[in-house]
Amino acid sequence: MTLPATASPAGLPLAGNGEATLSTETATRPSLAPSWWSRLAVRFESLVVLAILIVVLSVLSPYFLSISNFLNILLATAVIGVLAYGATFVIAAAGIDLSLGSVLGLSGVVGALSINQVGLPWPFGIVLCLVTGAACGLINGLLNTRAGIPAFIATLGMLGVARGLALVLTNGVPVYGLADPVVYLGQGRPFGIPTPVIIFLAVGAIAHFVLAYTRFGKYALVIGDNESAARAMGVRVERHRVSLYVVSGTMAGIAGLLFIARVNSGDPTAGLNYELTAITATILGGTNLFGGRATIIGTLIGALIMGVLQNGLNLLAVSSFYQQMAIGSVLILAVWLDQLNRRRRMR
Amino acid sequence: MSLLEIADVKKHFGSVEALRGVTFSVEPGEVVGLVGDNGAGKSTLMKTITGVYTPDAGSIRFDGIQLNGKQPGEIRALGIEMIYQDLALARMQDVASNIFLGREPTRRVLGTPIRIIDRTRIEQEADVMIRKLGARVPSVQYIVGQLSGGQQQSVAIARALTFNPKLVIMDEPTAALAVREVEHVLELIRELKRENIAIVLISHRLTDVFAVCDRIVALRQGVVVADDPIAATSMNAVVAHIVGAA
Amino acid sequence: MTRFRSIGIGLAVALAATGVALSAQAADKPVYGVLLKTLSNPFWGAMEKGIHDGADAAGVEYFMQAVQSDQAAEPQLNTCNTMLERKPAVMITAAINSTILLPCLKRATDMGIPVVDLDANLDHAIAAKAGVKIAFTIGSDNVAAGKQGADWLVSQLGKDAKGPVLVIEGLAGNITGQKRAKGFAEELAAIAPGLKIVASLPGDWDGQKAANITNDTLTRTPDLVAIFCANDTMALGAVEAAYAAGKGQQITIIGVDGNVDAVKSIKAGRLNASVAQLPYLVGKEAVEKAKAVLAGQKVDEFTYVPTLVLTKAVLDANKDPLLQYVK
Repeated sequence: MTLPATASPAGLPLAGNGEATLSTETATRPSLAPSWWSRLAVRFESLVVLAILIVVLSVLSPYFLSISNFLNILLATAVIGVLAYGATFVIAAAGIDLSLGSVLGLSGVVGALSINQVGLPWPFGIVLCLVTGAACGLINGLLNTRAGIPAFIATLGMLGVARGLALVLTNGVPVYGLADPVVYLGQGRPFGIPTPVIIFLAVGAIAHFVLAYTRFGKYALVIGDNESAARAMGVRVERHRVSLYVVSGTMAGIAGLLFIARVNSGDPTAGLNYELTAITATILGGTNLFGGRATIIGTLIGALIMGVLQNGLNLLAVSSFYQQMAIGSVLILAVWLDQLNRRRRMR
Repeated sequence: MSLLEIADVKKHFGSVEALRGVTFSVEPGEVVGLVGDNGAGKSTLMKTITGVYTPDAGSIRFDGIQLNGKQPGEIRALGIEMIYQDLALARMQDVASNIFLGREPTRRVLGTPIRIIDRTRIEQEADVMIRKLGARVPSVQYIVGQLSGGQQQSVAIARALTFNPKLVIMDEPTAALAVREVEHVLELIRELKRENIAIVLISHRLTDVFAVCDRIVALRQGVVVADDPIAATSMNAVVAHIVGAA
Repeated sequence: MTRFRSIGIGLAVALAATGVALSAQAADKPVYGVLLKTLSNPFWGAMEKGIHDGADAAGVEYFMQAVQSDQAAEPQLNTCNTMLERKPAVMITAAINSTILLPCLKRATDMGIPVVDLDANLDHAIAAKAGVKIAFTIGSDNVAAGKQGADWLVSQLGKDAKGPVLVIEGLAGNITGQKRAKGFAEELAAIAPGLKIVASLPGDWDGQKAANITNDTLTRTPDLVAIFCANDTMALGAVEAAYAAGKGQQITIIGVDGNVDAVKSIKAGRLNASVAQLPYLVGKEAVEKAKAVLAGQKVDEFTYVPTLVLTKAVLDANKDPLLQYVK
């Protein structure tokens, strides 16, 4: 079936005066097609910022450019990074999860208590971390979709409830002393690489695969892009939203597990305020805060930007007050760079 | 048996009764114009047919199958497609992804049960459909948000036609178009009719309706107030029905 | 954009090469690593001053780090790890809680770097189990500090005094706060059984929280006679709440730390007393003793720096020799 030759071909841009305008839009414009960068799911600006930071810090501090320091950076970034993966899935669908840090704390506490006080075998402790996270995520998702509570508020409520529950369960006191295999998860160095780093990268690979290649990931992005269109095209929007919150909750559970493994104790104050850092990392990586565009590799780079910056400023013994200013400024700069480029590409 | 049978469908939102017993039908290959003033219930009716809303009463049968309560995905699979007034496109996704939205073919990864979207197939088939339509979209890899309005509409049309629908509902397809574009859409409707695809054309522009439709159904305040073959009525009569002067 | 890209890459390569060259230089002089909790609290500010003066006197170099709040546990651990990159001669650390720094301190021990438990935050049994070798612990005897607070209170109210007393503890789970509260409670029960502690609640070292706790307790127990707070920040918060409720004169409020703000408040007649911990002295002696350890000399396992109860009378008289260390 083709259109009759007499009619004007579809795709000619509309013009108010009824005349067809042969603009250059119909000619091949390279910037409209995704470059190989975006196919690789990497945002060029994020990489540039990261590269500049690495270069500048290498110059300023002689301790920066070393394998052990890079491993330190990855280790310091691991927990927040896993949390940021969770944030990415949720933000892709135009949601938000403010409870990430608290769920991290609660999951870690439940896992630690089950090993330390209830005396369960350590694999149960690990599973309980993840299950606690997933359960909190499920509650968040149901509050949002069934009870119609805006995600901001539902997860804000969970932030308080989860944190409070963690404090209640532990009476405010960290639960010290877990099983050796669990400690190995946090402090071991197979092949010289800290285990949390391996987990951080492995979980990242899986998360990236899901978000970029599967229908699950595609639907998350489309829901954030145009929810009513997704619904009209048959996407089960509410169901999908709930699964996304379960994913972010599970990520918080994994992060909670990494945390207790690192410090060999279930700390009820673990993850305090981490959600903001995780969300910052996600945005730095190119995720659109209002949904529709997100990649995990981008988030990984965003987390690394923050980790590198923090590490470098620590090496330079910069006061933590200035460090906070620096992190805030980098966020603004990175997003501004992105806006500039986006506008340039549009013209 | 008609292709689409709508029988006494009612739908309310709180205290607002949007549809108060709508009854009409569409035959295979028929082009039906659906007209009515703002708030008459056209949009609600279409959303009820496509499954976004569930009717409170009455029945909708398509090819003999009861549609009440089915999910939008199921209804699309049965052969009803809709081209929305706002096009319902995911503007941050590319053309190919939009065309296959909700119905992406998948393939296994390295023989495992894990399934990923079959990117190659999507791009190939989307390309075929775009060429078929003669649409000037240079590549199906382009991001939809960066295409012109007309190009975007081509994508929406391509999406509606890709899975061999039996009924296509078009909601104000000519509302924002230039003259040449309008004629193009009308020609598309005639072409689809030739292929025995039924069309429901929702439009404010009575000239367009009278140009391509076989029948015209007028809605007013949630009920059908007129249902006539085009030859048996006139624009004035239709307007009178719409505003309630008849 | 491609041009920008290539320039950027070229610049990056050039600078990276420079960076590699610079990093080839090794640091020869031994540098001491000092990790405090947070500089937002004047207690630690005074401690840093002491470290600074102690380093000057001992002729050593040091670098100091702190994190943004005294609850930022994991960031302190990450900072500790980063500090080890600089291979300090000794690690002088004030851990936010008794267990958070152990993985890092174990690495320090493995690297042969002596660890100094600054301000006695570590639980020695747990640290030993974790493989951390503590060179020495220096701080104030927190139990004795609490005891001193109780002694002073009873000296003011009398052994036979009767009435309800509120205790506001530190950060939940923090060993410093626990010891101070314990020292106070045990001594009070021993010497003045008529003064009963009606509530012992965690104020998390936070003035706001302490103010809220004071308000809530006053609602239940309007005839409160005394409040003991495990640090000055909280005590000052309690003071404001007490005065706002019109009970400033009725309630005797005692803090611990003896920091700058507390001194001002005592001189102004609002806060009644503070058990000064002399963090300046702790910092100064920590550096001196660390130097001794590095020189191979023997150092006491536990060093307790004396504490002094600051009151308006003591400050006005200005005769006590320990006052010179109150900064």
